[in-house]
Amino acid sequence: MTSRYVLDPTGERSVAERELLARPETIAGLRVGLLDISKPRGDVFLDRLETMLQEAGAIVQRYRKPTFTKPAPVDLRHEIATQCDVVIEALAD
Amino acid sequence: MSARPNLPDGLVIVVKEECETCRMVAPLLPSIAEHGPLTVFTQDDPEFPKELEAVHDADLAVSWHHDVETVPTLVRVVDGVEAERTVGWSQSEWRRITGIGDLGADLPPMRPGCGSLSVDPDRIDELRVRFEGGRLRSRRIELAALEDDIEAMFARGWTDGLPVVPPTEQRVLAMLDGTTRAADDVVASVPPDLVDVTVEKVAIAAVMAGCRPEYLPWVLTTIEAVCTDEFNMHGVLATTMPVGPVIVCSGPGTVAIGMNSGVNALGQGNRANLTIGRAVQLVVRNVGGGRPGGVDRATHGNPGKLSFCFAEQPHSPFGTLAESRGAPAGANAITVFAGEGPRCIVDQLSREPESLARSLAACLRTLHHPKLVLAFDVILVMGPEHARVFADAGWDRQRVLAELDACLQLPGAELVRGAGGIAEGLPEQFADATLPKFRPGGVLLATAGGAAGLFSAMIGGWANGTVGSQPVTREVGT
Amino acid sequence: MHDISDLELRGVPGVFVASSEFVQAAEAQSTSLGFASIARVFTPHPIQDRTDAEMRAYAEAAYTQVVAALTST
Repeated sequence: MTSRYVLDPTGERSVAERELLARPETIAGLRVGLLDISKPRGDVFLDRLETMLQEAGAIVQRYRKPTFTKPAPVDLRHEIATQCDVVIEALAD
Repeated sequence: MSARPNLPDGLVIVVKEECETCRMVAPLLPSIAEHGPLTVFTQDDPEFPKELEAVHDADLAVSWHHDVETVPTLVRVVDGVEAERTVGWSQSEWRRITGIGDLGADLPPMRPGCGSLSVDPDRIDELRVRFEGGRLRSRRIELAALEDDIEAMFARGWTDGLPVVPPTEQRVLAMLDGTTRAADDVVASVPPDLVDVTVEKVAIAAVMAGCRPEYLPWVLTTIEAVCTDEFNMHGVLATTMPVGPVIVCSGPGTVAIGMNSGVNALGQGNRANLTIGRAVQLVVRNVGGGRPGGVDRATHGNPGKLSFCFAEQPHSPFGTLAESRGAPAGANAITVFAGEGPRCIVDQLSREPESLARSLAACLRTLHHPKLVLAFDVILVMGPEHARVFADAGWDRQRVLAELDACLQLPGAELVRGAGGIAEGLPEQFADATLPKFRPGGVLLATAGGAAGLFSAMIGGWANGTVGSQPVTREVGT
Repeated sequence: MHDISDLELRGVPGVFVASSEFVQAAEAQSTSLGFASIARVFTPHPIQDRTDAEMRAYAEAAYTQVVAALTST
């Protein structure tokens, strides 16, 4: 596919690439969402992460998307966005 | 980008095989070559002309950089500089320039040429990028393979909430044709971040807004006006009041670019009105860094902060607002004003100017609050039917404003805090004074709107004077 | 990965976990999405035939990296 370019409309005081959001300092006290993509064995992996996160003081909430073959439905993404401070999605293979 | 190739000394002729006139003059070339140095550039077929070996201007660099608009073009070059040229076939011109007195004796005296490939409408955008792309300085941002063009603009936070036109090099170069200014000319320092904005960056915003190139001078001038200390764009952004730049355009140029000063002039539908205002806002947002949730703290804001730009009626009985503020008669000019959304003034029964003046004054009195005076200016956008009431009675701008002022001398007793059981108002000490609603010059009168409808509109301002914002009028450049 | 990209746009820092089979694909996809810096952690491969105990061991091995991808200290 040929490259497509646009000219930067900003004052160019910051980087052009999309950057990661700022992260919170520590996991303790955070609402952590675990999003299961619904591939087999992923639930066992997430169960163990859940326990370890809780031991570190996080509040864990589990979510599951209907199929790994498509992006999560918008309602689910909205739910996660309103209920969680950070999110982990697993486990793709 | 290719650099400008020099023309060799002597005679230079640019042709294309597709052109009948070029084919007609081709047999003359050997005799011209005998008289002195001759270089022939062919735009299309490298085998043409067969009479003489030619240089193939395959990428059209020679034709582009030497402004060849017609073929054949005959140029005489002396010491690397063009001395003269002629386009098409003119027996007398070709004889004079070549010095061959009997050149083309069996040809007609004149025959027009054809369009050069370097100005072919199908190719010109691509050529512009090839030859002029290098003069663009802005960072190029590559869109990811899976990104939709329009979504990419949203994802990067470059829009005002509505989709913008992706600013490709082609589009920006085409936009820059709308001004005589150089792309790297600095236009202004944009609040709040006080970033220098070049003509190129304004052109990018103009593309995104949906402007046509002929609107660009209006956008450039408005940016200059908005970034003055007087206008105080930083204050206009940071205030909790619902104001943004309101742009009133004046002069015959408004008609030339298709602006609307008539029906629905303050509303939607007109490309020039809407995109000029929008481009200015996009510069403030993307270059200056002024955006809602950041420096922009407006409690309610108003829809005009997307774009609020209209033209004055060219033949107003009061002259134009710009002229009243010092622009030369008949000039193209803009006036920027820190204003809120418009409010309607209804008066469908006043046939006498005195009555209408009192009506307008009664409504103007309530600007922002009936008890607040002097701190705010206003644009009074008089509808044509109201304007006619005054014009028919022979009242000019000065008379209208004087009468309004007379009707707006207010008793302090009604204005002080607590008066009318209302806590808002002026300090106690003004109870015995008479105060005008507006400072001298605080009512900016413009005429716009459809020919039917006994309405005017008022656009309230932010705090005026040196602590607030002052209106700025500027003549539009090129 | 699209989900994490979308959730980051919604203000939720995220990380996705995949098996090592995904390393190249993740590189390519993240670039195509215009988000090359998207946070990711990889486990060994394969996944499907691992016992529960082995899956838990994968989780324990990945834990530190996962937390690091979500916090700043």
